[in-house]
Amino acid sequence: MRKIAIYGKGGIGKSTTTQNTVAGLSEMGRKVMVVGCDPKADSTRLLLGGLAQRSVLDTLRIEGEDVELDDVRADGFAESKCVESGGPEPGVGCAGRGIITSINLLEQLGAYDDSEQLDYVFYDVLGDVVCGGFAMPIREGKAEEIYIVASGEMMAMYAANNICKGVQKFANTGKVRVGGIICNSRNVDNEYELIDHFARELGTQMIHFVPRDNDVQRAEINKKTVIEWNPACNQAEEYRRLAMAIEANESFVIPKPMETDRLEELLLEHGLLAA
Amino acid sequence: MTEVLAARARQVARAGTGGVDLDCDRQSTSGSVSQRACTFCGSRVVLYPIADAIHLVHGPIGCAVYTWDIRGALSSGPELHRLSFSTDLRERHVVFGGERQLEESLDELIARHSPRAAFVYATCIVGVIGDDVDAVCRAVSERTGIPVIPVRSEGFQGSKRKGYDAACEALMSLVGTGDTAGIPRHSVNLLGDFNLAGEIWIIQEYLRRMGVTVVANLTGDGRVDDIRRAHGAGLNLVQCSGSTTRLAQQLRQAYGTPFQKVSYFGLDDMAAALYGIAEHFKDPEMLDRTRALVAEEIATVLPVIDECRADLEGKRAAIYVGGAFKAISLVKALRLLGVRTALVGSQTGTAEDYRYLAELCDPGTVIVDDSNPAELSQFMATEDVDLFIGGVKERPMAYKMGVAFCDHNHERKVPLEGFVGMANFAREVRASVCSPVWQFTPRRARAGRSGTTAHTGRAAAGAAIEVMC
Repeated sequence: MRKIAIYGKGGIGKSTTTQNTVAGLSEMGRKVMVVGCDPKADSTRLLLGGLAQRSVLDTLRIEGEDVELDDVRADGFAESKCVESGGPEPGVGCAGRGIITSINLLEQLGAYDDSEQLDYVFYDVLGDVVCGGFAMPIREGKAEEIYIVASGEMMAMYAANNICKGVQKFANTGKVRVGGIICNSRNVDNEYELIDHFARELGTQMIHFVPRDNDVQRAEINKKTVIEWNPACNQAEEYRRLAMAIEANESFVIPKPMETDRLEELLLEHGLLAA
Repeated sequence: MTEVLAARARQVARAGTGGVDLDCDRQSTSGSVSQRACTFCGSRVVLYPIADAIHLVHGPIGCAVYTWDIRGALSSGPELHRLSFSTDLRERHVVFGGERQLEESLDELIARHSPRAAFVYATCIVGVIGDDVDAVCRAVSERTGIPVIPVRSEGFQGSKRKGYDAACEALMSLVGTGDTAGIPRHSVNLLGDFNLAGEIWIIQEYLRRMGVTVVANLTGDGRVDDIRRAHGAGLNLVQCSGSTTRLAQQLRQAYGTPFQKVSYFGLDDMAAALYGIAEHFKDPEMLDRTRALVAEEIATVLPVIDECRADLEGKRAAIYVGGAFKAISLVKALRLLGVRTALVGSQTGTAEDYRYLAELCDPGTVIVDDSNPAELSQFMATEDVDLFIGGVKERPMAYKMGVAFCDHNHERKVPLEGFVGMANFAREVRASVCSPVWQFTPRRARAGRSGTTAHTGRAAAGAAIEVMC
């Protein structure tokens, strides 16, 4: 079983990219579980067709300790398994502790057991690794491959670089490695070259360049992944390519995060700051 | 020879070896099992004797359990303080926030017990999950019409001393909200006495005989309504230096009330405290009454003290208590009984306190700040003490070392304050030190001498203290 965590700046399209990639892998016949690690609990709605599913933490809160795996896990598109950690409303409690509680419970319930015959588990994690709780998915024994979603916008790259700093800390003590940067294009000038260069500078690769396409929004309005909504469209093919690239990936590295100065130089080299 | 952790080298000294300048009031050294309690515990021990208030611990159940009735503070009336209330925070409250749990707990408790006020103690985890305790307290206070006071001891702030500050802040929010009409000029508040065994009643009786009115007890046998009008008193008497000096300073600043630091332990300090009060009020008749009182009381207890001294002369004692002020009084009280202090220390003393102790004690006396069981046990052996005066955490150490013990802390059942308290102290110390049981303890048995015979071959004053690197 490959254990993958998707990180990236808030609003960059982590959940959309994750679900579309999972749709691609599921379509190929892989058995995939998605664990949403965001208190907003919106990491699986495209796979589930918008079905609201009770989060692990809400279930714990309402049912107490007596929870079954089927209470918190639902089947989504192409037999993908969907779980939402959930968490508190903004401004109260400790969402980080919620993630830890939730993942521990999934382990206790046997969600990762061999009998489940999973090929992949994907953790879709809140934008920034704000505290120890959000690093839970990349601790020892959890996710071992990280993909960072970024675009050519400076703040997205800045966040990706910061995430690499966090990963580096855990990589030095455990098995977690970066598998690549997924460029979720914002139609920034020279975006392909910039992110390709950025990824290489971090010691990794741009695993796929996902072009911007309004079909993504159209599919989302219909509460579906692009592959389910229109399997024949060009964007569906892009996500299939991303899924295949991840399936075939053999490059797993300890990232080399850069200093802010170097990051800005990189942007200059690609002519972004010139204007 | 006694080993001291390198990081603690500047927290241990001997009197008579030049200027004693201890590096105190700092975080405990890791690896040293400090005898100190936590910030929350510090705030709770100060406030909890207020007997007609709800004391609600907002935190996991352990915080409330391990401090439950930590001081057997006595009350002449209601005993609401002896119940331990907790919001019992669980993992789900940590994840989703504990504000609702707090609000519901307060509503339930206030409806059930009709307290005059409620104190809400914030524990470490509350600071981490960011519950807005102030807002909840404000809302419940408006709804119920009683003061609901947040005690800000949350979030891993530091030592027990920080908790004292949080408690003083909570008390300050209560003082000044009551009517001071009818409070006479010759009136005081009693700060820093917690009425563990009825001590505050002894002091109140002395004051009554002198013609002084007590407005509020802060906090032994304390009442919310008294504390609300405490700003009307003419003088504040501060007994426990560690916990309430700050409150006295704040009261002086806010209301202009002067304060005196006093100790009610030992004949000298007790008499000095009463004379100080009479002198403050500049009332010749009060001074006469005080003289008569002191003379009468001393005459009553002196025979007891003389009798005990005959058995105790030449004995050696170790003192390790919470506040340095109490330690100072104990050194003097022991001296009156013919007992030499070989070791003295406290959990929360200041550099100034320790300098004074060094001057007060005989040369060679070991002085320690924020000590630990390893150090205290070793010093007990090298200094060959006959008596240990401390609290609940020191008692088993003393007994294991085969040393007599006198509890001078939370678990007391016999008062040691006042003139009568000195007689009680003398009797208790004699009973323990002169018990024949000590001759059977391994240490004394090996040395082939009983605990009641004169010491021979005692370690010379100034035995080595080795700093471990």
